[in-house]
Amino acid sequence: MPELLQVFLTFLRFGLLSFGGGMANLPEMARVLIAHGWVTPQTFADGFALGQFVPGPNMLAVIFYGLSAAGLPGAIAALVGMFAPGALGAMGLVRGWQWMARARWSRAVRKALVPISVGLSGSMFLVLVQVGIDGVGWLLAMLLAAFLIYRGVPVAWVIAGGALLGLAVGLF
Amino acid sequence: MKVSLPALFWAFLQVGLVAFGGGGSAQLYQALVRRRGWMKEREFLEATALCRILPGPVFANMAVHLGTRLGGVVGGVLALLGVLTPGALLMLFLSLAYLRLGALPGSLAESALSGVTAAAIGLILATLFHQAPLALGSLKAVGLALGVFVTYGLLHWPLLLVLLCFMPLGVMLYWPEAAEEDPWG
Repeated sequence: MPELLQVFLTFLRFGLLSFGGGMANLPEMARVLIAHGWVTPQTFADGFALGQFVPGPNMLAVIFYGLSAAGLPGAIAALVGMFAPGALGAMGLVRGWQWMARARWSRAVRKALVPISVGLSGSMFLVLVQVGIDGVGWLLAMLLAAFLIYRGVPVAWVIAGGALLGLAVGLF
Repeated sequence: MKVSLPALFWAFLQVGLVAFGGGGSAQLYQALVRRRGWMKEREFLEATALCRILPGPVFANMAVHLGTRLGGVVGGVLALLGVLTPGALLMLFLSLAYLRLGALPGSLAESALSGVTAAAIGLILATLFHQAPLALGSLKAVGLALGVFVTYGLLHWPLLLVLLCFMPLGVMLYWPEAAEEDPWG
């Protein structure tokens, strides 16, 4: 039970802190989860990759991490911890939104969040390359995938292509 | 506008079924504004901008926010369940398979997953390429983004500390501009 509570509180902290999109705190998540011994660097990267297979909000990978830490209750605790803070705030915004849209501080916050979230995404990219890419071959595959997506090839195709490429590499 | 709760749940569930690759907000726009006309374009854009100031996944927050506006608190809960359930169930299934059967180093599953990881990281890089020219149009924007990247990505400061440093700094830098009337943020 203390373990489960710890899983919940850990993900609640991620949920409260993930400004600029849920994936912004991936670097911190990697450090904390690996330090707790709930995942290894390899399974952290694999869980992130599995999360890209499924539809819905990014960060459904927390189900994997929670499951790995404390079984099914852990998965539910991680999911609730990650999504509840933003969800409650989003409900609260319904009452305050007209006032907020006009308030000067909220416009300043929204403008500042744009470059800050670019910095967070850059950090996330760096950490994922460190834990998830082994070898120059996969680094080149990653760059190719980025190029294809940038040029407008549908994301689902590129991800499926990555899986096929991986299978081919494994077979031969 | 208020809509019936079953219709609301069904609309968000459909989005949850097809929102692959981080395109959820665009799917919500198609489903609620273009297809069903449940809200005006302007209303949707304002909601998007507002939901960015909340922590957590922007897409999930938007679903809750829009669901609450269309159907009250129950609508908000149904909207979140709608967009989460299909992906969460599939994720649970995949995770159980992975953790039970294991993807041993060198196995075929591990190799396939390496390919997916590479593609998924490529997606982040491509998104950065798209966003950076628009988001980093001024010197202060470049400075803020670099500051966050160096402290968080390279020096591994805790996220809370990084935000405590750069959010007030950013608000200060953008304070003069924020006086202008600019409903889209």
